[in-house]
Amino acid sequence: MDKRKVEEYIFKVLMLGAVLIVIGSLVFILATILVKGLPTLSWEMITKTPQGGYYMGKGGGILNALLGSLLLGIGATILAAAVALPIVFYLNLYLRRRSRFALAVRFFLDVLWGIPSVVYGAFGFTLMIFFGLQASLLAGMITVALLVLPIMARGMDEVLKMVTFELQEASLALGATRLETAGKVIFRQAFPGILTAVLMAFGRGMSDAAAVLFTAGFTDSLPYSLFKPVATLPLAVFFQLGTPFPEVQSRGYAAALILTAIVFSLSILARLITRGMNKHVIK
Amino acid sequence: MDIRHWKDLLARRLMFLLCVFVLSLLFCIAWGLYHKASPVLAAGSWQAILFSSDWHPSQGRFGLAGFITGTLWVTGLAVVVAVPLSLLTAIFLAEYCPVRLRDVIKPVMELLAGISPVVYGVWGVLVVVPLVRDHLMPFFSGRFPFFPFASDNYTGFSALAGGLVLAVMVTPFMISLMEEVMRGIPFGVRESSLALGATSWQTTKKVILKKAAPGIVAAVILGLSRAIGETMAVLMVAGCALQGFPRSIFDTTYPLPALIANTYGEMMSVPLYDAAIMLAALILLIITVVFNMAAWGILLHLERRET
Amino acid sequence: MASEVSQNHIRVRDLSVRYGSTRVLNNISIDIPDKKITAIIGPSGCGKTTLLKSFNRLIDLQEGVSVSGQVFVDDEDIYDPKTEITHLRKRMGLLSQRPQVLPMSIYENVVYGLRVHGEKSKEKLNAAVERYLKEAHMWHEVKDRLHTSAAKLSIGQQQRLCLARGLAVGPEVILGDEPTSALDPISAEQIEQRFLALKDKYTIVLVTHILRQARRLADYVVFLYLGNLIEHGPAEEVLNNPRYAKTKAYLEGRFIEEPEIEKELDLIKLTFPESLKALEKVFKELKVGQVLRIVSGEKNLQGLIRSPLVAQHTVLEIKKRDALTSEVIMQKNEGGYSI
Repeated sequence: MDKRKVEEYIFKVLMLGAVLIVIGSLVFILATILVKGLPTLSWEMITKTPQGGYYMGKGGGILNALLGSLLLGIGATILAAAVALPIVFYLNLYLRRRSRFALAVRFFLDVLWGIPSVVYGAFGFTLMIFFGLQASLLAGMITVALLVLPIMARGMDEVLKMVTFELQEASLALGATRLETAGKVIFRQAFPGILTAVLMAFGRGMSDAAAVLFTAGFTDSLPYSLFKPVATLPLAVFFQLGTPFPEVQSRGYAAALILTAIVFSLSILARLITRGMNKHVIK
Repeated sequence: MDIRHWKDLLARRLMFLLCVFVLSLLFCIAWGLYHKASPVLAAGSWQAILFSSDWHPSQGRFGLAGFITGTLWVTGLAVVVAVPLSLLTAIFLAEYCPVRLRDVIKPVMELLAGISPVVYGVWGVLVVVPLVRDHLMPFFSGRFPFFPFASDNYTGFSALAGGLVLAVMVTPFMISLMEEVMRGIPFGVRESSLALGATSWQTTKKVILKKAAPGIVAAVILGLSRAIGETMAVLMVAGCALQGFPRSIFDTTYPLPALIANTYGEMMSVPLYDAAIMLAALILLIITVVFNMAAWGILLHLERRET
Repeated sequence: MASEVSQNHIRVRDLSVRYGSTRVLNNISIDIPDKKITAIIGPSGCGKTTLLKSFNRLIDLQEGVSVSGQVFVDDEDIYDPKTEITHLRKRMGLLSQRPQVLPMSIYENVVYGLRVHGEKSKEKLNAAVERYLKEAHMWHEVKDRLHTSAAKLSIGQQQRLCLARGLAVGPEVILGDEPTSALDPISAEQIEQRFLALKDKYTIVLVTHILRQARRLADYVVFLYLGNLIEHGPAEEVLNNPRYAKTKAYLEGRFIEEPEIEKELDLIKLTFPESLKALEKVFKELKVGQVLRIVSGEKNLQGLIRSPLVAQHTVLEIKKRDALTSEVIMQKNEGGYSI
């Protein structure tokens, strides 16, 4: 056999190996979480708050963290969307394609995306002190909103870039202002994509722990005030794993399973949306 | 002017202000952290903090060098594992993979990227740590009792475990970036090489990889900076006990992000402790921002060259 | 003449458009006749679409565009910064190359413009939908599914929907940018029929690269070449007896050659009699078939062109340089020159 053929063959084998490792690791992670988490998973876990001595093996559940994470995620996502949407519409509708300002904003969004969540956490902590807040749902929301803002904005930006210039032109030609064009035409056209970006950001916000460690705190009670600490799912996993009791640890695995299930459902939902919700969308 | 135009104008101003907010956010973060870190910088020289590994907060000694090298040590391990894996997978996806298989692999990769860091940590504790403890460590440390394998840490919570978990975490991210870069190369480039009788591997090696090289470098830098900042998973598997400078991949290590996350409870009780932690965050910010700026600079430059 | 001119909806004066450093239109001056179909023809890339979109300022959206000169719509200079663009655009319907339906139902597409301009009455909107879909000749096709997505219509129907949508805002002018180029022959035919039916009520300007379409529809023809206005006039005249060589070449499907200029003559500073003398002298020196470029001030231009001396030779092209000067490109004829 030809030497170059041999080389190609070797690399093909290596490539396949790499692909298998990457996919295998996902399967492996899922399998591990399932096998370890499923036996402990119970109705009680998601319907009860921790009872006294929960972290030493007594009864209860993690409803506090589940609700806390959902609330915090939803709040943060809404905050981030309220900033991200206007920005991407400004970049794509109001500014010209080669605008230097738009380039700068995109570049900064990319850089912000790369900042570790623990740094956002630390920054959120400084903000908290500055505004005299304690670790609370609100502080956590703001911090996570900052964390997911660049992810969401860049996701939406990619979607809006795909909307043809002619569609914008068609609306402007009828005498609509840019704002009307943005709200009534472009938003509808890009809606599935925008929603996908929002859901992805929500998943990301929910699953992050380092940002909320400083800012949201942790509590065994259900969230009831914006200004009080709130429990979150990733931290619930982390804390339960940190205890020396095997039964508490295995409840941590179950919590990890719940968290993963939520994130996966969001991801799958996002996929279904891009396929299903394009009734009026023009291809 | 009627009300419609006022609305349009108002929206325009507001949108512009929000863009300015994004542009200023980075500076706000940097300034906020610097402001909070300044007491510790005022108390001792920054050289003493950056280059000393003398970490005794209760005695007012805040040498961060041990944590910084710990970060580099774990990240380095992760990159050594992740780069070949990502590059090979990305080449496969961009150049060899049938479309239908790609449609399966890409979503899988996205799912992998979406998993919570804490869950990666759980997996690390359950799988990677025992793997290191029961197999890798006895095997290597016994046979090669020298740097960087010699160690007396038999727990499995180690730099290597952290590096492996990090590698799995950043791989999907690097793959999607690298693949995007390679697929951005026009098809004609491949065609002209294949037309000259090159095999597809030769084309990949001599043409595609060469053209994609800057983009691949950027992807590696981004993966690296992501690994540097990753907190929870590493915190859970790396052992997090300070042992000065790293001597073995099987020793515990204590990276910077883990330090920040680990001390959230106690840092207000010791003077200057919180300032030192904010300084750690600032250092992390500077490292990742520099890396990101370099990498996105490369990628934006490539994108503009193409269009 | 002046009073007649000011009645036209669209008057263009010395319009130049650049994209960055490329000139797309050079000093175009033209009046678009009302309630007629005007066809803008010319090879691709000659600035047809740019001219069309300058009428409702959609060229503003292009990258790095700069415009000089004036376009008057109903005696209002639309490039005046004080002009309300949205009101201007309301007065002109646009049909683009590919139909661009909006991502909503058929009904919502038609009333979009009305809603944007503040119409809220349900009855009026319903009436408008019926009326304009009828004008676009598609009411019977869609009246039972007005609330289904417009994206599901065939491409020909989509273009007629775009027409109805454009008519609904009550424009005086319809602009068509090769509106049939993406359509199948039958749909294209339907659109053409609509134009013929609507031309009594609207001023219609079409960009087309299909000469036969221009012949079928146009009352008035504008021929552009490389950003220059070469010739314009009633369709009969321009399409059957073009005055200038480039128009003729284009209509016959020949390659349009830039004439090789043999000699230049600058007449700007001369009086009319002096100009004639200079011209006479130069023609004597030229060989038959050679080409001469004359630069002349505007006030002498008409006299020069009508003079017997010039009439003996072929005028290839008249180009406006700026508001006050023009270039005339002439070829010396066989018959030579005698007085």
